[in-house]
Amino acid sequence: MSTSYKGWKKAAIVLLFILPTLVSVTLISLYPIFYNVYISLTNRSRFHYAPPDNIWNCTTDVMGKYCFQSPLLANYADLFGPLVTPESLVSWFKLLLLLVPIVAVYYLERRARRKSLSKPETWWWWLLGLLGSGLIWVVLDVNAAIEQLMNTGDFFIVMFRTFLYVLACMPFFVFFGGLLALILNNKYIKAKGAWRTILILPWAVPNYITAEIWKFFFQEQGTINQLLGLVGLTGPAWLQSDLTAFIAVVIINIWLSYPFFMTIILGALQAIPQDQYEAADVDGATWWQTLTRITIPLLRPAVMPAIVLSSITTFQMFNTVWLVTNGGPIRGAGKPGATEFVMIHAYKMFRTDNYSASGAYAVVVFLLLFAATMISLQMTNITKGATE
Amino acid sequence: MKKRWILVALSLLTVVGMLLSACGPKTTPTTEKPATTEAPATTAPATEAPTEAPTEAPTEAPTAEPVTITVWHGWDGAYLKAYEEVVKEFNDSHDNIKIELSKVDNLSDALSVAIPSGEGPDIMAWVQDQIGRNALVGNIVPIDQWVSQDYLKQNFEPAAVQAMIWNGKVWGIPESQEGIALVYNKALISEDDLPNPDDFNDLLQKATQFRKDHPDKYYLCDQGLGNPDAYHVAPIYFGNGMSKYKGYIDDQGNAYMNSPEGYAAAEWIKKFSAVAPAETSHEICQAMLTDGEAAIWWTGPWAIADIEAAGIDYGIAPMGSPFVGIKLFMMTPNAVDRGHADAAIEVMKYFGSADVQKKLALTNKTVPANTKALHDPEVQALYTVAKFGESLNRGTPMPNHPYIDCQWGPVGDATTAIWNGSQTPKEAMDDAQAAIEKCIADMK
Repeated sequence: MSTSYKGWKKAAIVLLFILPTLVSVTLISLYPIFYNVYISLTNRSRFHYAPPDNIWNCTTDVMGKYCFQSPLLANYADLFGPLVTPESLVSWFKLLLLLVPIVAVYYLERRARRKSLSKPETWWWWLLGLLGSGLIWVVLDVNAAIEQLMNTGDFFIVMFRTFLYVLACMPFFVFFGGLLALILNNKYIKAKGAWRTILILPWAVPNYITAEIWKFFFQEQGTINQLLGLVGLTGPAWLQSDLTAFIAVVIINIWLSYPFFMTIILGALQAIPQDQYEAADVDGATWWQTLTRITIPLLRPAVMPAIVLSSITTFQMFNTVWLVTNGGPIRGAGKPGATEFVMIHAYKMFRTDNYSASGAYAVVVFLLLFAATMISLQMTNITKGATE
Repeated sequence: MKKRWILVALSLLTVVGMLLSACGPKTTPTTEKPATTEAPATTAPATEAPTEAPTEAPTEAPTAEPVTITVWHGWDGAYLKAYEEVVKEFNDSHDNIKIELSKVDNLSDALSVAIPSGEGPDIMAWVQDQIGRNALVGNIVPIDQWVSQDYLKQNFEPAAVQAMIWNGKVWGIPESQEGIALVYNKALISEDDLPNPDDFNDLLQKATQFRKDHPDKYYLCDQGLGNPDAYHVAPIYFGNGMSKYKGYIDDQGNAYMNSPEGYAAAEWIKKFSAVAPAETSHEICQAMLTDGEAAIWWTGPWAIADIEAAGIDYGIAPMGSPFVGIKLFMMTPNAVDRGHADAAIEVMKYFGSADVQKKLALTNKTVPANTKALHDPEVQALYTVAKFGESLNRGTPMPNHPYIDCQWGPVGDATTAIWNGSQTPKEAMDDAQAAIEKCIADMK
């Protein structure tokens, strides 16, 4: 064949072929991002929505036109300014210190593993690390630090609740997913195909339908309270008080997510070579030892990426929670509701047509998620194959 | 060699063609908007003439295509049918003008896109609280040129006339008046069990007693109590004395949530939460009333059709001071641009006429804004019209200045926070006051 594709010719053809992608990525991804950054620097809202004659100098008494804020970053300062005052920075520092013992144990463990051939017993190191964090919590009065940050405005409150939500969901995802996978993987179970189909159903049902059903369960006049009524009890309005509403959306999310973990873990379980179990059997290992020494360590490479991905999607949870609680219970005018997580908060800001402030909020959330994704990808090597 | 180049060129052409076809027909929105409402753009920009409609319809020529007037509305179900009949009559009797009804779910969002690009309706059917903001942002035009204040005064009820005028100009033609009242199930309570409409303590007492007698039932379901909804709690705030401020916010942009009357209403709401359902909505209250789980539903004429369909023997009684909303028809700048203004006014006047309003009142059980229609003996004989009218007479007219855009969220949230116990009545009212003040500051 011809070998004339060299130099600029080759470059031009390559460019021509990637042009469609380049154009569409620019139009669909990059342009909206930059446009959003631009909006976030203005005072655009439902009352200031038309392009002005001069973006730098709009007379504010003319309603309808928007212009750049002065100072330019005023929207960011309003939302995030209180989080970087000296007082807040001290609180942040205290929160960071909490992580120090845990990170230290992580690195010590890695070093110990590299040095010795046999795997050292390290679980008590982790215990010590956690104890250390607990000690720091008490000594530095982290409660007060969190309280101080909570008073800086909606952003921290919403972030904090969202993190809590992710932290509350993840262990249950892994636990229920793993438990069901272990059961399904048991050789004494009959009709595995049927069980697997039934158990994966919550994942297959469109989740707005699931959300509406669960909402009806938890309503004051809903299924749960009707059942309680049968035994003479009166249940509360579950979705109207902070804690029960939070627990409700955690339960719903577990229901929606365990099939994903079950599938992943089941796949990983079936990939574990049988001879390892046979060897353990010959050595007289108990069921518990087999589980903790063979099964769980070999599941880790498959489960870690699932946890990371699932954490990111849970962090961005919108539809299910919105459909069930609307971000409520409402905690007062101008205050975020008890289950108003990051994306719901952003949506609510947008719904009040406060385009510029919600734009600034979106920019910061985007940066945070971008950083979190990059770090977690590095840590778990999910994309190792793609980047090499 | 050559072949390959042709292939490359061809594939490229295809891709470019696809991209162009994707981007092509997108109409560029007009970037220029009337800065203030004083000067609605009356000339259509020649370069961006909308392609679909006959833009320069020669209305004078008798043989010309009829002008189609589009009306955007939010009517539903049986209620909409009455309008469709009225529109059909109009279309049958007019050769040169045709009305086209179109239901739009989120009018506010749809307009902000459609009006600047010239694709908006000619007429919008809405409520008068929308006048201020839409006038400011240029979604509607004043119609003084065609409809004088005298014309309004001669034909419509005083409250309705007042609602059409903002900033000294006429912005629409009124259609019906609405407000909420106590709609009760006669199977559960009788007229003697109803509260004195001026006495909220009486209402609280009756509700407490009823709950004591029927532990599995509630006296009253209000979808503004247990669900953020500033409209359905208005009779409580205004009935407790806030009506003297002419709304939650006055036309100067002062809010009154932290007034003594506001605190009093908030305290009452806190007490009442002990004897009412924690969680409500339109659907929940409707189900409670029709299932006999609640004796009273605080609602408006729009709910009557469903209650009748459920076979409930109901009564209506006034309480407190509800918001009086005036439904109206407004004209958009797009109608003027298209040269449809005269035809649009004719359509609006048709909807406002005594005949049409009487028909709508008889089928939809609404309270007409047209004086002649309201005093028609047939209309007056309607129980719902008489009873809701009684409630409207005690009502607080819904303001039409733009500031009231700031009331809905804060008042609803504050009431709900009191209801679910997140905040004390005072905290909630102070936060609502602050939120409204911030909103108004952003607006100015």
